[in-house]
Amino acid sequence: MFLFGPSKRFCPVSRFFPAMAIILTCLYPMGQARGSAFSIAELGARAAGMGTAFTAVADDGSAMVYNPAGIAFQPGMRLQMDNLVVVGFFHFFPLAPPFGTVVPEKGFNGSIRPKFIAVGSMYASQQISDRLTVGFGVFAPFGLADNFTNFNDSDPPLTKYPGRFAGTRARLESIWFQPTFAYRVTPNSSFAVGPALVFTHLFLEQSILNPLDDALEFGREAANDVFPGVDKELAARSIARLLPEGRARIAGTSKSPGISAGYLYKHPRGVINLGLMYRSAVTHHLQGKASFAFNKGYTLESFVGADLLPKAFPNQKIRGAFTTPATYGFGLSTSALGNTTLSADFHFQDYRRFSSVPLNFSETEAKNPDVRTPAEERLIFDFRDSFQIAVGFEKRHGNMALRGGYLYDRTPVVDKSVGPLFPDANRHSATVGLSMRAGNKEFTVFYEAMQMVNRTTNVAGNVKQFTNGEYRNFVHLAGMGLRFILGPQ
Amino acid sequence: MRKNLLALIGLLLSWHPGLLSAQAQQTRKLDTTSFVVLGEGLAAGMANYGLNEVVQRKSFPAQIAQQMNTAFPQPLIQGPGLGDVLGYPPSPVSLPNYLQGSVRVFPSQPVKNDEAPTLFVFNLSVPNFRLTDSLNRRPVSPLIHNDDSQQTAINMILGFPSLILEREVPLWTQLEYARAMAPTMALVELGYFDVLAAAVAGNPGLIPDPASFRAAYATIVRGLRELQTEVVVTTIPDPMDTAYFSSPASATRLMRVPDSVIAEFYGINPQDFITPKGLSAIGNQFIRRQIEPLPPDVILRGAVGSDISNRVRALNAQISAVASEQGAVLYDLAGFFNRIRTTGLRVGSSAITGDYFGGFYSLDGYYPGATGQALIANEILGLLNRTYGESFPLLDLGPILHEDAVSKFAPARAPEESPFELQRPSSSGIEDEIALP
Repeated sequence: MFLFGPSKRFCPVSRFFPAMAIILTCLYPMGQARGSAFSIAELGARAAGMGTAFTAVADDGSAMVYNPAGIAFQPGMRLQMDNLVVVGFFHFFPLAPPFGTVVPEKGFNGSIRPKFIAVGSMYASQQISDRLTVGFGVFAPFGLADNFTNFNDSDPPLTKYPGRFAGTRARLESIWFQPTFAYRVTPNSSFAVGPALVFTHLFLEQSILNPLDDALEFGREAANDVFPGVDKELAARSIARLLPEGRARIAGTSKSPGISAGYLYKHPRGVINLGLMYRSAVTHHLQGKASFAFNKGYTLESFVGADLLPKAFPNQKIRGAFTTPATYGFGLSTSALGNTTLSADFHFQDYRRFSSVPLNFSETEAKNPDVRTPAEERLIFDFRDSFQIAVGFEKRHGNMALRGGYLYDRTPVVDKSVGPLFPDANRHSATVGLSMRAGNKEFTVFYEAMQMVNRTTNVAGNVKQFTNGEYRNFVHLAGMGLRFILGPQ
Repeated sequence: MRKNLLALIGLLLSWHPGLLSAQAQQTRKLDTTSFVVLGEGLAAGMANYGLNEVVQRKSFPAQIAQQMNTAFPQPLIQGPGLGDVLGYPPSPVSLPNYLQGSVRVFPSQPVKNDEAPTLFVFNLSVPNFRLTDSLNRRPVSPLIHNDDSQQTAINMILGFPSLILEREVPLWTQLEYARAMAPTMALVELGYFDVLAAAVAGNPGLIPDPASFRAAYATIVRGLRELQTEVVVTTIPDPMDTAYFSSPASATRLMRVPDSVIAEFYGINPQDFITPKGLSAIGNQFIRRQIEPLPPDVILRGAVGSDISNRVRALNAQISAVASEQGAVLYDLAGFFNRIRTTGLRVGSSAITGDYFGGFYSLDGYYPGATGQALIANEILGLLNRTYGESFPLLDLGPILHEDAVSKFAPARAPEESPFELQRPSSSGIEDEIALP
């Protein structure tokens, strides 16, 4: 009887998990991104203690992230494991929610549960000769996790997070498996390259059938059946309110190639060290599955049949693609101040590559007249390029080292894309760290306080998604690292 | 410092809850996406002895919806319509022959013979609906009840096409139906039939007691408010303010006879009321020049009328209290009907009064015609504009008045006719002639 239109705003993700990814789930990055948008900068405890200003330092296994050329200066065998715990506080105060919305006193909470998640990295290197050192790193330079689901599907609409139609939960893990080859060009300089295989898992969830947006398409298609003789648009608005809310869940994975490269120059007396690094953009061709569910007991259900919406939105395979940005890093450091190292970094990420995410559904109306998922749906984000400026220091005293740093991160998320998937803002971070060495083992801890600048958005195009408002976020990060130095120190 | 303190005290003293509530009301937002009406004959648009699509299209809720530019599907009824009329004999339930009609109007479609009824309606008003009916009465199969015209009306309005669909679908009461439509805005016009029925029967005891009335009314308003619906409630017009109950003064204006004649011939006091049947009987007697005692049910004594008015005021106090406690907006429809009765209105150069044939009430005497409905619509639109800061345009009453047959009703006698000579039976059998000035 009714021909309902398609819904929008689904992301493609596959449900297939490679075995390696399962084994290495302890390495996935969680919590809201620490770097820009979904970048993660704190992939080494020693580096993080210095505000991540490590490009021209790169003197441990995490060099494979910050500057692969650094492993060329690390003799013997090195094994290193780093772990990061993120505790994020994300609060959203909507600007103009639906009248009567119950807004919690501290805003809507976007923190994941449990509140802290561990992120791990692993590095190993082996000097082969005076000039050649090889390494292998497993790390996650991109990751994302938030959860604005403060409700059950059957709860009254006005008690639910109002931006739920733009997203409720998101999770991204992009893990690099990177063998690295570093060559000592001169006694004071080295060059490295690290081809990588990138495993990515993406999960997205959002509510669908927004009465002000995608449900209107259903309303227009059903207008002549439900309210004949009534203006189509007016009828559609009323019909949209008679539909249930639904949830779309999309999960998928991909395997893609990537590459890192680096150059490091170290002055013989440490007066000035210079580092350059590059990590390639990676296009992730995801394959996965989309699933849909709808509330029961809505007004139209008994009139149109309980199976109409499940038939219109069948669970199905889905494909999609998105590109993580390339990273370009430049760093300077000096160790000429006795036992103190000072460093400064500038990183640039071409996030403008993340402009849109096309989603391709496998079930379409062309194959089955009951289906309403489109052949392609494109999510528009239009990110801008971002950069980070970091300064740090390390002061060594005997077997201990004290570190500190500051990091400024310019967000790539433009106003129109700020929402439950990317509640991002420019960030100021202060870091402290401490290492203690015993024999050939070194234990490191660090803490970072990340204050995201309070951000208020008011984009006309987001009014119906109810994502306009104030975003107040703060993140605690803490981590530890353990490295084994086998062979010459 | 002292000046600042005095200024602060002055500011505090100038604040009062009413001001705050008015400000709070101004900031309330009105979403007109889904506008439903819970009412009885008045909100259904009933007029001139029945409910049919001609009068339904002119109902004040339909005209409000038109000005708000919101969808408002109605259960349009083909002529001659349905609904028993208070004070008149009930009509039998008569099903039209096939091809003669379908009772409910099917909106025309681009493809001929593809017409279908609207699946849902937003004007849920049912003629002769009492307040408790809104909570308790629901459609019952079969569609047509030959022995129950009220159930048939409920079926045709709240149960069509549900009762004839080849699916098991819910059959809602008026309140359940309203809630199912997920309304953003609702108007409640209930209670008028409750008091009209009591007044027409001349029995004030039939008017619900305030406590039970309030409980039922609050259930309805709460049932809508908990969906975050903006609710407008109307007070109940006093039947004594309607043309169904004409004062002797109004009757003399209508029949152009001195009020002393009315008083002397029929023993009607200035505070008493005359029904349309009574007006018709008196008028016929004048034409036939034969004065006879009037039928017993055409005069309502003043004391009974006062009792009814007091009870209506008591019910309106309950409506006002429910509106206040539930955060609904109150429109004083009773006050408007009283204004029509006492002072009348002018629409252009035309005077609109509450008299029978005064241009406001239709032939039944208690439901307004198209102009009256439009006047009510403008009143409520004005209230919405003030309360919510909206700017809904008001109706242009001139064209409506021009096309409204009710405004053209006039008594049969022309003003230039000479007074009738009347005869009345006397105890001596001698006919007396009474010359009228």
